[in-house]
Amino acid sequence: MSTYRDEDPRIHGIKTKIRVVPNFPKQGIMFQDITTLLLDPKAFKDTIDLFVERYKGKNISVVAGIEARGFIFGPPIALAIGAKFVPLRKPRKLPGEVISEEYILEYGRDCLEMHVGAVEPGERALVVDDLIATGGTLCAAMNLLERVGAEVIECACVIELPELKGRGRLNGKPLYVLVEYQ
Amino acid sequence: MQKASLLFSSNSLAPLPCTSRRPLVPPFRRFLASPCAQLSLTRSQSCRFAALSPPLRCNATGSVKRQEMASQDAQEGQDGRVARIASAIRVIPDFPKPGIMFQDITTLLLDTKAFRDTIDLFVERYKDKDISVVAGIEARGFIFGPPIALAIGAKFVPMRKPNKLPGEVISEEYSLEYGTDTMEMHVGAVQAGERALVIDDLIATGGTLCAALRLLERVGVHVVECACVIELPELKGRDRLGDKPLFVLVNAA
Repeated sequence: MSTYRDEDPRIHGIKTKIRVVPNFPKQGIMFQDITTLLLDPKAFKDTIDLFVERYKGKNISVVAGIEARGFIFGPPIALAIGAKFVPLRKPRKLPGEVISEEYILEYGRDCLEMHVGAVEPGERALVVDDLIATGGTLCAAMNLLERVGAEVIECACVIELPELKGRGRLNGKPLYVLVEYQ
Repeated sequence: MQKASLLFSSNSLAPLPCTSRRPLVPPFRRFLASPCAQLSLTRSQSCRFAALSPPLRCNATGSVKRQEMASQDAQEGQDGRVARIASAIRVIPDFPKPGIMFQDITTLLLDTKAFRDTIDLFVERYKDKDISVVAGIEARGFIFGPPIALAIGAKFVPMRKPNKLPGEVISEEYSLEYGTDTMEMHVGAVQAGERALVIDDLIATGGTLCAALRLLERVGVHVVECACVIELPELKGRDRLGDKPLFVLVNAA
């Protein structure tokens, strides 16, 4: 199974729509800006279609999206494959009872939260975000789902930064991306 | 009903194809249940919500004419969808602070039919209206905006808190209960003359929606309508939008 789709003709159109903004949020970082992709209705639709084609008919009942850009890609996928959408959020945003997972940043820590009861044991889940860098956030997301007994089938991102080796940090879980940025 | 006429009197949209004089989707007034703490998310969620006031169509049942039956069925379909959407929204008392009854749409997102219906209701209203921009307000506007944009063939423009958007931005400051906040949009995301919707999950005082409106209008965009899942009418956000039309699915008393 290929880990990314560079043979599909839609991929090129998607890749050219992603804008790279140098030195954001700080010096040395080449920021992968997906907002320009969202301005092209065809490219945005192709992005969603590529994920939907991969995941529909696979009995996936949960799409978990990571705040905030995972909220842009997750819901359209969830709607198309008939799954529920579960937002994974920064602390104190979700109003009900939550479970939390801490994870390490370059400097310091952060925390991801999910509502208690959103996901039931045995459910098959995807985790969606716009980009995987070091994999820390995706890992925290997977841990949240697995702690409540869900099975994470795959992590799905539009973009991967392979040099940061996030793929290897996913506890053996598969990763599917559309575009690599070297 | 004042609000019903507002829904229908937008002069920036062609009249909606409906033989009934009632608005396509009546604002669905619902009364809050007694507060339930520690709500568990199960499939049988309707027990948490108090009896819903009857949809508008019931008021006219006694005098419905035969030729209105077809539109009546259509209206029933709409009301059925809105009823399910309203009952899928969870109310959390005292969040984020005492006295606030927080309208939680995450439970709506767990009901695949209700979430699908929510998007469909907006798409039915806005497709074929030459809308090229759907602007969604961070972060819950990011959940509803993109599916609508994709379905109507519009671009999606995220309106964000400061320092999140990486390129050149324009900013608009707005008032909070205590202090101010700032909303940003990318320069060049929209062009003068484009027709836009602004989407968020809920309108309260209208401050955030107003800031989004101003950002778009500053670059020459025509905002056709603001659209939210929920309105808190007591906070008079609708008035704050001035002459800009507002469309909502659910009123939370």
